[in-house]
Amino acid sequence: MKTFVAAIRQALPEATLDNDQLAAQFGSWSAEKILAKTGVRTRHIAAPDECASDLAFRAAQKLLAETQFDPSQIDFLLHCTQTADYIMPTTACLLQNRLGLRTSCGALDFNLGCSGYIYGLGLSKALIESGQARSILLTTAETYSKLINPADKSARTLFGDAATATLLTANEKETLIGPFVYGTDGAGVKDIVIPTGGKRRSPVPNAELVVDDSGNGRTVNDFYMNGAEVFNFTLRTVPGAVEELLQQAGVQKDDVDLFVFHQANAFMLDHLRRKLQIPAAKFVMAMEHVGNTVSSSIPIALQCAAQRGLLQPDALVMLVAFGVGYSWAATFIRWQPDTSCS
Amino acid sequence: MTKSEFLRQLEGQMEIPEGTLNEHQALSDIEEWDSLAALLFIALADEKLGMTVAGNDIANSKKMSDLLALLGDRLTA
Repeated sequence: MKTFVAAIRQALPEATLDNDQLAAQFGSWSAEKILAKTGVRTRHIAAPDECASDLAFRAAQKLLAETQFDPSQIDFLLHCTQTADYIMPTTACLLQNRLGLRTSCGALDFNLGCSGYIYGLGLSKALIESGQARSILLTTAETYSKLINPADKSARTLFGDAATATLLTANEKETLIGPFVYGTDGAGVKDIVIPTGGKRRSPVPNAELVVDDSGNGRTVNDFYMNGAEVFNFTLRTVPGAVEELLQQAGVQKDDVDLFVFHQANAFMLDHLRRKLQIPAAKFVMAMEHVGNTVSSSIPIALQCAAQRGLLQPDALVMLVAFGVGYSWAATFIRWQPDTSCS
Repeated sequence: MTKSEFLRQLEGQMEIPEGTLNEHQALSDIEEWDSLAALLFIALADEKLGMTVAGNDIANSKKMSDLLALLGDRLTA
């Protein structure tokens, strides 16, 4: 029994934040410079009463409706999020009920950021190929906008809210996902973190707004990212992960049809692409209209690549993701024609 | 690569006029020096010199000469 990606759909909040709005608020960068450096023109921002799970629900509903896949056939729901509805219960349980999946369906959340989609593919493959499930719904959903201080220019410029739903099913024939390379370095906690709000440290009431040298304001209750150290982390880990995956798969770099990396920002991706000597034509950039959507960035980029005609049936696609944790992962998928959908 | 050549390349990456940067400047006096410029510095050190420069070392640098010192003897005078 082998696993394959049968369909992908996405859902975005209605409201947007564009570069003109950011330039008007912060003044230091023009709208054009923001686009040139980050690759982002617009991001979607969840409404105050809109949770990440609402977006995941919409993406999943759309997937089930458009593929006409019978929801009662879903054996497992895997939900990747860091913006859960509640501390408890698990958001995947709420989604099971809301989507009308059968009660004999397994469901769990896993808390990963930008690396989450590939971990979700790995978990799905393990569940299917060990005979525990035949069909899996994998959802990714984040509303980082709710974690970022409005005065944090850098983070607001990069991140957008989004969700995706991926249907994975069993296939009797060939291997269409894998092998997998995983990596973890928890020493990275200091570089991407929300310092308070978990059980380690309670939120600080009326916390002081601290403005850094680059003019980004945030409190200890907000999302923090040390861009320079995160960049170094990617330079340290991504090339090695790519090489290891090629070796494990017994594939030459030239044989890869398309490279889909986590859509962190255009500057970082372009540097990684040149460092890895990957031709621009084989390297997907898909953050222009959505920004960095965390665990949704790879499935959104895959859809975008399909719409641009970059994915032929059976195309060998390398997926590489890296981010908060630190956590990273890489794998291959073989693109299937019925996944080429809007 | 000389220090001067490195600074010219950094100017190119930062899209500022040639000759804007010199090693005696305080970073706080360079209007365009920001978090993105720090990333451009890291990228250039990686691409041209094969070096890793720690973000905290950049954050602790006060002058351009402090930044160039992080590149050690990979740069000639």
